[in-house]
Amino acid sequence: MSEKELGKKLDRCLADSAVKLGAGLGLGIVFSVVFFKRHTWPVAFGLGMGLGMAYTNCQNDLRAPYLIQRNIKMAS
Amino acid sequence: MRGKNVLATKVTIAGGALYVAYDSGLLGGSEQGSKVIGKAKAAFPPAVDEWVKYFGFELPAFPKIGFAPVEAWNSGVHSSISALSSGPTAVGDYTNQGLQYLKDLAK
Repeated sequence: MSEKELGKKLDRCLADSAVKLGAGLGLGIVFSVVFFKRHTWPVAFGLGMGLGMAYTNCQNDLRAPYLIQRNIKMAS
Repeated sequence: MRGKNVLATKVTIAGGALYVAYDSGLLGGSEQGSKVIGKAKAAFPPAVDEWVKYFGFELPAFPKIGFAPVEAWNSGVHSSISALSSGPTAVGDYTNQGLQYLKDLAK
């Protein structure tokens, strides 16, 4: 992976992390207000989910060049 | 019956929020996430302008910062690591200079 490509991937990771954290926070707030009587734990849960999704996406993005891709042909 | 109506409303609201998040690509891969941020950045200034016109007050002009952290990051890392790597040598030199100065004072 070239340095330029790595830089682009890291930029994408950062942007995606911000989006996922924001989405997790937003959905956590909605669920907290609607279902869970404005407790804090759904917000924390949503933030955690967002963080986890962002981490997995970054991991997949950075590992992608090193994975062996397998093309499975469907039997016609 | 009223309880069921309230539950149905809550499920609709929560399900709607979840669907909107999924449909706008907030829960997808990293490519989609970075596209969403790009769209939001592009849509933010016109939205702010519209709201300002609607409420009828003027926001002060946003100060233009000539410094871009993204471009300065690499040079910042380079300078920090250079300083760290030459740190012990520089500290040694300054210590020697200080000791020499004290010796000269003591003479």
